Amino acid sequence: MAGNQERSDPSGCLPNPAGFTTISQSGNNKAMTPPQLLTDIIRVLLQLAPAGAVVSLVLAGLSLRRDGGPAAAIGGSFTKWMFWAALLSTAGPLLSWFSSFGIPTSVPSGGIGTSWLSSIQSDVSNFVTNFVVNRLVTTLAAYFVVRVILDAASGHSALPSILAAMFLLGTQATYTLIQSLNSGTQFATADVLDGLWNYLAGTLMPIAAGLAISGAVINFATRRPAMRLVGVALAMLCVSGIWKLVLAMEA
Amino acid sequence: MTFTNGLLHMTNWVGNVILPTLAGLFFAWAIWRFAQSESQIGFQLYGGLLCLMTSGLLRAMETFASQRPWNDPDVYWIALVTLVDWVGNVLMPIYAAVQVVAGALRMGLVTRIHHAEGWLKHFAAAGLCLLLSGVLRLAEFFVVNGTGGVT
Repeated sequence: MAGNQERSDPSGCLPNPAGFTTISQSGNNKAMTPPQLLTDIIRVLLQLAPAGAVVSLVLAGLSLRRDGGPAAAIGGSFTKWMFWAALLSTAGPLLSWFSSFGIPTSVPSGGIGTSWLSSIQSDVSNFVTNFVVNRLVTTLAAYFVVRVILDAASGHSALPSILAAMFLLGTQATYTLIQSLNSGTQFATADVLDGLWNYLAGTLMPIAAGLAISGAVINFATRRPAMRLVGVALAMLCVSGIWKLVLAMEA
Repeated sequence: MTFTNGLLHMTNWVGNVILPTLAGLFFAWAIWRFAQSESQIGFQLYGGLLCLMTSGLLRAMETFASQRPWNDPDVYWIALVTLVDWVGNVLMPIYAAVQVVAGALRMGLVTRIHHAEGWLKHFAAAGLCLLLSGVLRLAEFFVVNGTGGVT
């Protein structure tokens, strides 16, 4: 009989020991405070995201040469690293998507409380700024300039190495550009990628058209195919129109 | 330092410094080939001229590409049409004049030495240059009238 009474207890199928109260029974249902260490790790990761974006840009510059030049830049590992740079530079706004999913993700504000984590963050940031960006990138670009000459000597196009050297030298400016394109909203990553496309189509491509014309002239004078580059130069001046054409074809 | 500035300055350097310098090399190449009695000197000769006109060619391409608003889907097609018009109606008549002069020179100077020289080819080329639009319309006429097939 006593066993039946215990089974009908709504608190569970096992009997409550004497003196034991559940949290709900005691009314002590406050939200759990995350541990300081965990909060600080999140702060460290978020504060290291810009450094990660810069490193991604450096890797993108290296990939620009390894992929084989501007034609391979779209869809290759250059694109992959540029995507990571955009993603890491917009990590904060991207986290706000979780709130819209119903998952409360309050990004911890304030400084890093744990001293050794704070020093790790500071050391890594200094390493990226002072060693990678200020020194290493310049040296790598100088090596690519030598590579230009070696490429020409071996009969290959010198353009990929030149572009890689220029991209590496402009790493900091490219990161500043990405930051300026960051809208800070949930769509910040897409906004950055949109802005980069607009920059590519509206600023870089018309300049590259001049290079294409120069290439066409050299090809003509040396009796190599030149009309292809004339068409490319026109296309570089009409990138937005070609995009609208593709959209119109899809409609 | 920005990537854009690097690209822009490299383009300016290639177009305004290197290519005009190379023009001299291409002219020298053309003269050397001419001295070697090689007939195909046109590529080096015209290439040298084009080297001196790179900025102008880019401005021409920009003009072709700006015939329609930037967001018009037909902008590339119109740019190509304008390029074809420019080649057909501006460059080819000038080339016709060049061919007439070449034909006259060959007929007047070289024929006395060797009557089998191809001066007629130059005049024919000049005529075709001036008839380019007509030749194209004629080809279109044949195609349009041939759509019914052979009966």
